[in-house]
Amino acid sequence: GGRGGMGGGKKVFVEPHRHAGVFIARGKEDALVTKNMAIGDSVYGEKRIAVEEEGMEKIEYRVWNPFRSKLAAAILGGVDQIHMPPGSKVLYLGAASGTTVSHVSDIVGPEGLVYAVEFSHRSGRDLINVAKKRTNIIPIIEDARHPHKYRMLIGMVDTIFADVAQPDQARIVALNAHYFLKNGGHFVISIKANCIDSTAAPEAVFAGEVKKMQAEKMKPIEQLTLEPYERDHAVVVGIYRPPVTKK
Amino acid sequence: MAQMYVLFEHAAGYALFRVREFEDVGSFLPQVEQSVTDLSRFNGVVKLVAFAPFKSAAHALDNINSISEGVLSEDLNLFLETNLPKPEKKGKKDSFVLGVSEAKLGASISEILGIPCQHAGVIPEIVRGIRLHFAHLVKGFTVQTSGVAQLGLGHSYSRAKVKFNVHRVDNMII
Repeated sequence: GGRGGMGGGKKVFVEPHRHAGVFIARGKEDALVTKNMAIGDSVYGEKRIAVEEEGMEKIEYRVWNPFRSKLAAAILGGVDQIHMPPGSKVLYLGAASGTTVSHVSDIVGPEGLVYAVEFSHRSGRDLINVAKKRTNIIPIIEDARHPHKYRMLIGMVDTIFADVAQPDQARIVALNAHYFLKNGGHFVISIKANCIDSTAAPEAVFAGEVKKMQAEKMKPIEQLTLEPYERDHAVVVGIYRPPVTKK
Repeated sequence: MAQMYVLFEHAAGYALFRVREFEDVGSFLPQVEQSVTDLSRFNGVVKLVAFAPFKSAAHALDNINSISEGVLSEDLNLFLETNLPKPEKKGKKDSFVLGVSEAKLGASISEILGIPCQHAGVIPEIVRGIRLHFAHLVKGFTVQTSGVAQLGLGHSYSRAKVKFNVHRVDNMII
């Protein structure tokens, strides 16, 4: 049982989501939640749900709003895999103020690491503050176009998540993958059609981006749109340098 | 056959590896690509020559600032002079090359120390392998200590970036 902001003190049950590290809170309304790494702390005013069980430590969850996070939208949209289980290392390009980053930090947990790259100094300040309370986030205020500038800060990662909203996004992700993504590692890229080409049809833009990825040893596996949470957005999930299958 | 060394810059310090001798680059690249995922096989490709940890957090910050701009810092200069063989005099055939991660740093090293540098071809693959196995290649190092060093340096590097933005102009959001 539990108590908290959801449904005014009504009983809330939390159950694991299909994706490891993600949970669903079932109350008056269902909500996507993650287990809070920094108990007692909300990052961007999101609601928290405390669950106490007898003989167990108090567990706190944070509500994850799909209208504010493309990763949450992709999960609710039914994406097959997000490739960031607890303990994994994630390179997050386009970390902004760290709202989604904080949820990824919850998901990978204390054994995992999130390398969060953001170029804007204004958002970067917020990101650094979020990282102060969450020791599995390594903040990197630098241009994601120049991975060599921050190569000393990053080890090999299991997954790259990108939400950079730049016309050359595919190239930016590929550059970072060459430096930091393991063979057989995965990428999850959010594409805003408008940011690539505002004159072409979104479907054509997505297809073009997928082509660019294939030219860089990045093999797309899955693509889904983020309706109804975002317009003309797609998320592409794929594998980098897939292992050669022996016959 | 020229000896090949590879420089690896980590948040904790500088490391120098010697690459096993190989016949020709053409067949070496696929060999390295196959071996990078497997530590025992990768151990047959590179061997740690030296590792010099940064003396303090301030030293680490100075060094990452130089590295990210492709500048040869004093610490790196000393590290390379101490641990690499002396470069041959001009005109003679080079006895070794140094693999670096990026062209600009290579140019700085060549210019100041006279060491021939290379950053393309097989080097990026070897560096990928070192990055993957680094915690196991340096004695007394673990995945945890590696992460702690990155965390500390990430914070100080990023804080300095935000602080020293004197123009207060917002950069494009990436």
